[in-house]
Amino acid sequence: MSEKVAIIAANGGMFDAYKVFNIATAAAASDKEVQIFFTFEGLNLIHKQGMHNLEMPAGKEHFAEGFEKANVPSIPELVKMAQDLGVEFIACQMTMDVMGLTKEDFIDGIEVGGAVTFLDFAKDAAPTLTF
Amino acid sequence: MIKANHQLDAKGFACPMPIVKTKKAITELEEGEVLEVLATDKGSKADLAAWASSVGHQYLGTVEDGDILYHYIRKGSNEPEVEKNFEHTVSLEEIESCNGLILDVREAAEYAFGHIDGAKSIPMGELESRLEELDKEEEIYVICRTGKRSDLAAQLLANNGFTKVYNVLPGMNEWNGNITKEV
Repeated sequence: MSEKVAIIAANGGMFDAYKVFNIATAAAASDKEVQIFFTFEGLNLIHKQGMHNLEMPAGKEHFAEGFEKANVPSIPELVKMAQDLGVEFIACQMTMDVMGLTKEDFIDGIEVGGAVTFLDFAKDAAPTLTF
Repeated sequence: MIKANHQLDAKGFACPMPIVKTKKAITELEEGEVLEVLATDKGSKADLAAWASSVGHQYLGTVEDGDILYHYIRKGSNEPEVEKNFEHTVSLEEIESCNGLILDVREAAEYAFGHIDGAKSIPMGELESRLEELDKEEEIYVICRTGKRSDLAAQLLANNGFTKVYNVLPGMNEWNGNITKEV
């Protein structure tokens, strides 16, 4: 059984963030080595300001109440928890260049890397997930 | 309620928080101790059972009381194979036709979620202080989950003057007969 879980975060909305960080923290809590590769809109999820203002999908804004009622942790809380559990965050260099972003635009503790950095980790990971 | 060594209150938390909190809480326990997790997340029952088996703990069971789920997990159940030293042993088949006392030395929570009908519960850690509850004239068949704790318990009894003591092998993990639950 593989002890690694590899996740690609390629979308930047609130729902995307929960899918990524819930699976990542659950895997890390199950003693898996977890790496998330943030690319394109996915970079939003670890952007210092962006992560506090993630959007609900159009027409689904009413779910905000459900999140509160279910006492779901906020995304910044989940991000902190994921990092405490040892989840590694890799920001995609190419996307950052395209969008004019630098490492300072992102939360502390992330690495910047290319596709090969992630592929090297993911080559013996199971499962590899894309959100 | 069922006796546990530690308690974690994860009521009101949604997935994945009960798992994350359980992972942190269980580091405080010694091997073999039992953690009670209180949760209201209905998914936590299946999640904790799957989590425990994937990381090497023993999920004992869940009791539901209204909206609250009480989960019981025993730390680090994947006990390494150790040599069993007590020479008098019997098989599970043999005890079905034996007269005498079946002494279950697993933790109280393990016993609660399923034990042989009529078995007496004294957890291994309490045995030395509860010897007066046992009769030296009676045959005693000591059982646990895999035969490891019962091996130590049988030795402890023999060292305290009990002569009719047998270790039941392998143990409750392979018992297919009827079980009684206290929950």
